[in-house]
Amino acid sequence: MESVDIAVLLTVFGSILCFGSAAVLALSWAFRNGQFDNFQRGALSIFDADEPVGEPTDFFPDHRPITPAHDPQHEAIQGE
Amino acid sequence: MAVTILARDHLRLQAAQERVTIDRSCRGPVLAFSATALFWLLVGSLLALLASLKLHSPYFLTGSAIWTFGRVRMAHLQAVALGWSSLAAMAACLWLMCRLARVELIYPRMLYLACALWNVATTLAVAGILLGDGTSVEWLDAPTYAHPFFVAGVGLVTAWVVATFRRRREAHVYVTQWYILAAVFWFPWLYTVATLMIFWIPATGVIQPVVNWWFNHNFLGLWLTPIGVGTAYYIIPKILGRPIHSYYLSITGFWALALFYSWAGIHHLIGGPIPAWLATASTVGSMMMFIPVIAVAINHHMTMIGHFHRLKYSPALRFTVFGAIAYTAVSFQGSIESLKDFSEVAHFTHYTVGHAHLGAYGFVAMIFFGLYYYMIPRLTGREWYSSKLIRLHFWCSAVGITLYFTALSIGGWWQGRMLNNPNVPFANIIMYIQPYLALRSVAGTMMTIGHIAFAILFIINLAGWGRQRSGGPTLFAQPPQLTPSELPKADSLMNAPVTQLQP
Amino acid sequence: MDRGMILFIGVLLTFTSSWLGLVLFPFWQLQNQPAFQTSPEEEPYPRPLQGLAWTGMKVYQKNGCMYCHSQQIRSERFGNWWEDPTGIMRTGGDIRRGWGTRRNVPRDYIYDSPTMLGTMRTGPDLANIGSRYSATWQHIHTYNPRALNSWSIMPSFAFMYRKERIVGSRSEKALPLGREWTVRPGYRWRPSPNEWAAILQQSGDQIKARFLRESGQPISDWTTPETQQQLLEFWLATPEEDWQILPTEEAEALVAYLLSLRKAEYPLPEAKE
Repeated sequence: MESVDIAVLLTVFGSILCFGSAAVLALSWAFRNGQFDNFQRGALSIFDADEPVGEPTDFFPDHRPITPAHDPQHEAIQGE
Repeated sequence: MAVTILARDHLRLQAAQERVTIDRSCRGPVLAFSATALFWLLVGSLLALLASLKLHSPYFLTGSAIWTFGRVRMAHLQAVALGWSSLAAMAACLWLMCRLARVELIYPRMLYLACALWNVATTLAVAGILLGDGTSVEWLDAPTYAHPFFVAGVGLVTAWVVATFRRRREAHVYVTQWYILAAVFWFPWLYTVATLMIFWIPATGVIQPVVNWWFNHNFLGLWLTPIGVGTAYYIIPKILGRPIHSYYLSITGFWALALFYSWAGIHHLIGGPIPAWLATASTVGSMMMFIPVIAVAINHHMTMIGHFHRLKYSPALRFTVFGAIAYTAVSFQGSIESLKDFSEVAHFTHYTVGHAHLGAYGFVAMIFFGLYYYMIPRLTGREWYSSKLIRLHFWCSAVGITLYFTALSIGGWWQGRMLNNPNVPFANIIMYIQPYLALRSVAGTMMTIGHIAFAILFIINLAGWGRQRSGGPTLFAQPPQLTPSELPKADSLMNAPVTQLQP
Repeated sequence: MDRGMILFIGVLLTFTSSWLGLVLFPFWQLQNQPAFQTSPEEEPYPRPLQGLAWTGMKVYQKNGCMYCHSQQIRSERFGNWWEDPTGIMRTGGDIRRGWGTRRNVPRDYIYDSPTMLGTMRTGPDLANIGSRYSATWQHIHTYNPRALNSWSIMPSFAFMYRKERIVGSRSEKALPLGREWTVRPGYRWRPSPNEWAAILQQSGDQIKARFLRESGQPISDWTTPETQQQLLEFWLATPEEDWQILPTEEAEALVAYLLSLRKAEYPLPEAKE
């Protein structure tokens, strides 16, 4: 086996080791930290009491209902 | 009953105040990044148009060294990739990190410095190239004296993003934060390693293009893509008021992207004088990219399903969804493009240029346009001046990039077929491709018009010549039960001292 | 351990893996490749660029030539998709176009920095351009490509040439070009009908005499549109009497570099198919 071949093997195994340990470390942290406990909660973390799920938050300047209740789609979203 | 309503309204007001406080703390630095990014977008558009025109009308502005095609093309790339896209990406990182960590921005002066450093670097790059210091290293054309400024600028931003992350009040780390954190680590390394190996301690011969393409592909893949995808992961659910389809998939997608994207770059040298296994390894990496791309596609598009009518009402959503669709398209195209049979035709042609623009413009720029339309009113407390101009911007950009992509894909493909056939004289290829190059100029003109409309909107908003925002969903929804006298006005919240807003 | 640290390490390691595989390993494999020599007496190949050619490489670099011109000849087996007259799919377009006699290998580039392989062929490949054209051809083509190929979309680099009044006799280095290319450097010039009329009035007889002498064509009637056109074209193809176009040092250097590009000529053992 030439030194080139050894180098290829080292690189490949080194990479696998790096990939593997990276993924294991990050995932184990995420599990311990409870990042995966409740995925729905994770997805909801960007909403708050003022911009809750079910209320769209962006409109063209001249196309803006004052309250969500005026939005024709409001009922449909609430229903989900 | 009345008590619960009031309690809910109080919570709502508190949440609104918290968000306004955070947005207000970001205002200065994020606007500085956004405004200078937009400036470079305009510069880049004009350079692009010039380069495009010169390619089918060689007598246009000929006879001047500064405006010769090669220099203008290099300057265009630095202006749009390092100027516009990177500054906008950093603005996105700063604002999204504050919002998602639910903390105010600290040490704004450091960020003004970062913004200044980056702009000095971009100015040196663009002016240096035009005056004859370009390096002809694709994507790294900036003269070497610009490098320290770029590294220092992004280094400060990275330090700041990490500091904000560590101060976070929100326990959950949202998927967008994963993407942002990864990107701000990747990019400084990437840039430093690439410039070191190509310019400061130059590697031998073909190692340089190998490092070069590893950098180029990762510039899009590990810097602009994570921030673009991360932005869409925030903007789309936030605008719709609807959590993303599968949060689990989004995290899987993140790690698949981290693993495979960084391996994909060398297929750009397919057939070239490099060890064959390198291109093969990259082809494998490119094919594996189907995993994260499909994960992101499912998430973005399934979140949208049943809500496409919203595109009619929300400017930010229009741009963002266009960008998300372009991301899916360009990634599938990229994976297929890395295949040997396909690459044998598409390589060395305008087909690749079309692909690059679908990625850098159709995906990245459109997502950042969407971000601007969502973010800027919340930072300035002012409404966009004109819906007409927003629509003009959207249609110019959307139709422009579609035309651009279509023209170069068709023209480039046949250019590649003819290049492979030695019986076709070179003159025929040049004559064949010219109408497509002219179409590209038409498309580029449309996109530039869109950008001018965008810049006008931005300037009016920043200068305060337009309407003030008064409540409404774009800033924060008004709790309907409170009487008007009890309601804090949006602009009063924006301008009140911080202590007054603390609940 | 701190959470941020874990994310940091994860991100670092994934990224490092690609750097190891795609950058460090090929670096290690190819970094110290020597020039090729069959015997100690023979000159090694390749040789580093020197003098004017090196300066010319810098001119090529700063003007972004590689954004339209690659410098790599691909293998005999690369690039399918074209049919020969018998309907068989063939490969190896690069070599068959005459761009080089063999494929390029890493050793061809060991002295290149930056290594401008290129990724676009708006124009033809230049890896071996030095063995295809003469210095004069290169100068004319750089000065204005359309003087040689009417269909060319390459920029004119007339800014690398200077227009000088002839003192004594014309310089040997002056570009052998007709006035249509030299009156307005970088463009193709045509006199307006009034200008042409004035020129004919002033020196019409001389031009006509010269035309008859050099073309050997007997023309009796100078008034037909065809003969007038012929005369104009003839006059435009003759050089300006008092002016000459000379290459600047930049142009000399660039052409020296182009002439030095012979990357697919010398046979290398590893470049055999």
